Amino acid sequence: MNLILSGLIFTPLLAALVVLLMPTRLQKPMKVTALLGTLVQMALSVLLYLRFDGSAPANGHTGYQFVEKLDWISFSLGSLGRFQIEYFVGVDGVSISMVLLTGIVGVIGVISSWTINKNVKGYFLLYLLLVTSVMGCFLALDFFLFYLFFEFMLLPMYFLIGIWGGPKREYAAIKFFIYTLVGSLLILIVMIGLYTSVIDPQATAWQMNLIGQGIPADANVIRQVQQMLQQGVISNADIVRTFSIPAMMEPANFIPGSLLHVLSGVSLFDLPIRFVAFLLVFAGFLIKVPSVPVHTWLPDAHVEAPTPISVLLAAVLLKVGGYGLIRIVYPVFPDAGAYFATLVGGLGVLSIIYGALCALAMNDLKKLIAYSSVSHMGFVLLGLASLTAEGVNGAIYMMFSHGIISAMLFLVVGVIYDRAHDRMILNFRGLAKRMPAYTAFVVIAFFASLGLPGFSGFIAELLVLLGSFGAPEATGMLPRWLAIVAVFGILLAAAYYLWALQRMFFGKYWIFPELREKASISDLDRREYLMLVPLAILALLFGIFPHLLLDKVSIAVSGFTELVLLNGQEQLNMVLSTIIP
Amino acid sequence: MRFAKTGVPTLLLLHPNIAYTLELSALLKPLAGTTQTTLALVVLLLPLLAFALLYGWGKHLARKGDWLGIGSTGVIFALSLYLFSQTWDTATFHSRIIWFSFPSNYVADFTAGVRLDNLTVLMLLIVTFVSLLVQVFSVGYMKGDAGYSRYFAYLSLFTFSMLGIVLVDNLLLLFMFWELVGLSSYLLIGFWYQRPAAVAASKKAFLVNRVGDIGLLLGLFAFYTYFRTFDLEALRTLVGAGEWSNGIFSLSYTLNGQPWLVELSPVFLTLAGLGLFMGCVGKSAQFPLQVWLPDAMQGPTPVSSLIHAATMVAAGVYLLARCYPFFTVDALTVIAVIGAITALLGAIAALTQYDIKAVLAFSTISQLGYMVMGMGTGAHDASLFHLTTHAFFKAALFLNAGIIIHAMHRGLHHAHLPGDADPQDIRNMGGLRRAMPLTFYTYLLAAAALVGLPLFSGFLSKDAILSGSWAWAQTMSAANGNSLYYIVPVIGFVVVLLTAYYMGRHLWFIFFGSFRLPFDVQSLRFSVRQEVERVMLLPVVLLAILSLGIFFSLNPLAFSGSWVMRGIGIEVLTPKSTLLADRLVQAVAAQDAANDTAHLVIGILSALLGVAGIALAVGRYRNRGGALLLQEMPQGALARLSYHHFYLDAVYNRTLVQPTIWLARMLYRLDKRVIDYTLEYASKWLVVFAKIVKWFDHWVVDGSVWLIGALSKVLGSIGRNLQNGKVQSYYAYSLFGFILIILYIMLN
Repeated sequence: MNLILSGLIFTPLLAALVVLLMPTRLQKPMKVTALLGTLVQMALSVLLYLRFDGSAPANGHTGYQFVEKLDWISFSLGSLGRFQIEYFVGVDGVSISMVLLTGIVGVIGVISSWTINKNVKGYFLLYLLLVTSVMGCFLALDFFLFYLFFEFMLLPMYFLIGIWGGPKREYAAIKFFIYTLVGSLLILIVMIGLYTSVIDPQATAWQMNLIGQGIPADANVIRQVQQMLQQGVISNADIVRTFSIPAMMEPANFIPGSLLHVLSGVSLFDLPIRFVAFLLVFAGFLIKVPSVPVHTWLPDAHVEAPTPISVLLAAVLLKVGGYGLIRIVYPVFPDAGAYFATLVGGLGVLSIIYGALCALAMNDLKKLIAYSSVSHMGFVLLGLASLTAEGVNGAIYMMFSHGIISAMLFLVVGVIYDRAHDRMILNFRGLAKRMPAYTAFVVIAFFASLGLPGFSGFIAELLVLLGSFGAPEATGMLPRWLAIVAVFGILLAAAYYLWALQRMFFGKYWIFPELREKASISDLDRREYLMLVPLAILALLFGIFPHLLLDKVSIAVSGFTELVLLNGQEQLNMVLSTIIP
Repeated sequence: MRFAKTGVPTLLLLHPNIAYTLELSALLKPLAGTTQTTLALVVLLLPLLAFALLYGWGKHLARKGDWLGIGSTGVIFALSLYLFSQTWDTATFHSRIIWFSFPSNYVADFTAGVRLDNLTVLMLLIVTFVSLLVQVFSVGYMKGDAGYSRYFAYLSLFTFSMLGIVLVDNLLLLFMFWELVGLSSYLLIGFWYQRPAAVAASKKAFLVNRVGDIGLLLGLFAFYTYFRTFDLEALRTLVGAGEWSNGIFSLSYTLNGQPWLVELSPVFLTLAGLGLFMGCVGKSAQFPLQVWLPDAMQGPTPVSSLIHAATMVAAGVYLLARCYPFFTVDALTVIAVIGAITALLGAIAALTQYDIKAVLAFSTISQLGYMVMGMGTGAHDASLFHLTTHAFFKAALFLNAGIIIHAMHRGLHHAHLPGDADPQDIRNMGGLRRAMPLTFYTYLLAAAALVGLPLFSGFLSKDAILSGSWAWAQTMSAANGNSLYYIVPVIGFVVVLLTAYYMGRHLWFIFFGSFRLPFDVQSLRFSVRQEVERVMLLPVVLLAILSLGIFFSLNPLAFSGSWVMRGIGIEVLTPKSTLLADRLVQAVAAQDAANDTAHLVIGILSALLGVAGIALAVGRYRNRGGALLLQEMPQGALARLSYHHFYLDAVYNRTLVQPTIWLARMLYRLDKRVIDYTLEYASKWLVVFAKIVKWFDHWVVDGSVWLIGALSKVLGSIGRNLQNGKVQSYYAYSLFGFILIILYIMLN
């Protein structure tokens, strides 16, 4: 059995254990341990990326590779069937890019944390826990397992902001915590609803003794179980409910008469219950994305978080939101996904424009970049909502590309903050004269982020916009004006970045008098080059050779769009038939 | 419900009586490279390599690496000459690979390739030649600048991006290089990054260009949505295969075996075409986005020469030429009108400028308007011809201006005048023809070409545009019964007069009369024997000589014999007649061919207008003394309107920039005051609620528990008191109970 995925998840945890057992005074070895842990994780993720077969067929609920599936919690409930939670991990085209991203950014974050001196042990312990849970999120295929990792991200994040953060860290940390907790709660409700409604055909077949225990069921047996389920001939005691996400993607696995079955006929506030469930879980992930209007935790969290945590937050934690939408929300509720496409895309466009305008109004460089994240994550929603091959590939490309580029952006903010302990745009002028290399990287990062061709961000924006512009014809989703409005986002992005460049980096050198005593304005050091150069190269590489990513991703995306569109239409008709006589 | 359609595109309505013969994926097959295309790739990538080396290590190279930039450009110029000899009027070469693709039947492969045809190699020659000369010139001009190697690096980056625009075979790649050109322009305008004005100008240029790019992107999306590819050749084939029926453009083809039936309204096609044109409006500084170009003069003067006069700003016209098949008649009409407006506004603004570069910048806007007008009026070849001639004479003018500015700096430096005199202000000059005779004569040659005097290159190309637009107006007004179309060529003639006037004024201020600053004009010279560094002279002389008409047409009085124009006619570039506006272009060409005497009249009239304009300017200024000219200011409302470029900057600032910033601030307040406030309010109420719960917990839940406890205590003590161990009491209790039972039975 191939344990590479478990290796990916638990390597940082192992490193965390080692850190835990070290005496507090061994600060340097702790850092080295953390670096080693994340380096091994990165090596594994690169290995996985290379070995992942992007050409293998995948149609939404199949096509996972390197799968590990173990019973975790399993007991009989007597006449109520069996309760089971599985350790079920696997990787497909949707998650592979996120795994690679997490591996890379994990290492960059450790290098960036090298200057942490306050409570080093606690810091790296929490950092490694965070990386573990993020990786777990991207690999889990069991909803319960996913939720566990999802929730577990909160805890280290809360302390990392709350202890190592800036002056208003408590406020930011609690705001982050509450927002995310509300989101988790919404997801939890739907998760329980899904659990009551979905069976695991494999385990049910075992329970019914259709096949011997432990013998994998072939497609015929699975189909037989599903047919029997829909005919209602399986006794309650034989039903094995499941948290398996792939099982939830198949409408045939829903128990007739259960709450979330398409024909349940239950409605809440005049909406079919499936639509309500979609909206709840969608809102849950929307907070994580984040999208306007539930985005206000992000700027505060970013501003207060220490640089490496900002990097991790922007580069990978936000991606869990978009990833959750693609992995869970859309495939499980394709009917509602199609029905609410305009809402999803509309929120995306709203985020693009609103985030960009807010960024334009910022005086704090870090806050500006935080709002630009909101704007860029809007493209993910827009591309996803289009349900076209270009759009969804673009959404994933945007998540990956933003991961690389936002890491760069927050790192360059960290550079000036380290030197001047300030990052207000108006407190600096003409930094280019004193810090030419630094300015060069700022220019690279800014232009990469504003979608200059040659950098990965351009491919991402292009694909999303192509997909959403053509969506009315291609899939019947989204009105045309959404894409047209979204294009203005690229103008605003150029505006806020170039304005910041003009005010902060060009002109005659000047810094705010009160900062002069504390500040030591020097150009980049070797450690900073070590972080920025690889990221810049990656942004270029994926900007010039998009197939490096798309070849791994696009088959799974085609499977995804077909699943969502075909199941979506069928299920939507059924759902609507139950409420419209 | 909304979700009526599925994963199957709605275009795939299969019409049984339509023959689907065109397979798109067959048009996008990879094409193997030839020697020529491989060399073209070398031409493209060599400047990129030079950029990387210069940017990374330029400071450590000998002479700070200027030889690297110039050397690589020299090599690619030589290669371009070879490619020109291989391609011009002989063959086209095309090589293509699959860039990336999606495993979907509805998405065609995204390809990338280079394609060499007449227009490509002509542009290759122009770009590499002017770039080479400008870099040689810069060795003198930028000598001693702190960013010397950075400057050459940026120029190499620009050359790379510009060559990319010219060489690539599809619109997506073209857009990518288009943006990179924007980046290099940004970097070069803001080259002196410590000057706030330069930085502001660079930002403005990039943003205004991005406004145009929005349109360009939307145009690309519109075509992509229905034609599923960006490849120019495939697009041309598709458009050519379509038919107009009942005012609807319909086209059927298959993609990966899936049938597509595209039915587009002319309005949609016009809008899509105008989207593409928006890109040109930004890059080629057309109305209403021309405001960035005058500011762009903040860059070093050789940069203005190369990028903001000869090559980059012409990229918009090049784009129009490449996309010519995709414009409808209505789109072309809009293009013609916008071009005419731009030509007129630019020329009017140039009338009153005093900055030597501002005059040339507005003149560039005006001439670009001319080219765009030519494109719009179907004079496709004339427009490209003008692009070619303009590249040389305008580059010469700018480089000369650079020489003059340099000389003025030198003079001012030696003179130690009190206060600062602006070395770029033509009022501070005068009589330079004696101190700088070489500059004077080269300037004169190039200016004559710009004015369009006979025997000079500009005469030929401008005449071609005027003739074309005249034929267009004849055709259009005959077809639509509306003589308003004649306004476009008439504006063309007016602009000839205005051009001659402002150039006459320009020349007079700079070279004639007497020097107006109080020091010896000879101190402008580099040395007694030399008026300028030798390295700066050669490029200027070469470019000025190329302003002569003889190089472009064996008969320098008639454009019809021009080898350039014959090579870049629309029928040469797109072999079959594949234009959406096919009929119009044919009709204009026929009309133009029939206009025999009109040609003669137009030629003579434009020459006369040119002479008249110069005469007017000279007549106005010849009798004014030096002191008067030194103090001259724009007089009157019209002159001020022209001087301030119609206050366009102020208008845009008021109506677009400030409201956007205001909106941005308001939205951020919304974030803080509404969203966050609501949250905080909600959390406050949560705390209040928690307090209430606490109270409830304390008084009701705990209270009731306490009450129960207390009650049982009371009851207990009562019970305890009952059990006092006295038999009499027990007897009395049981008697009391017995009575109660009796009473109960009796009462029931």
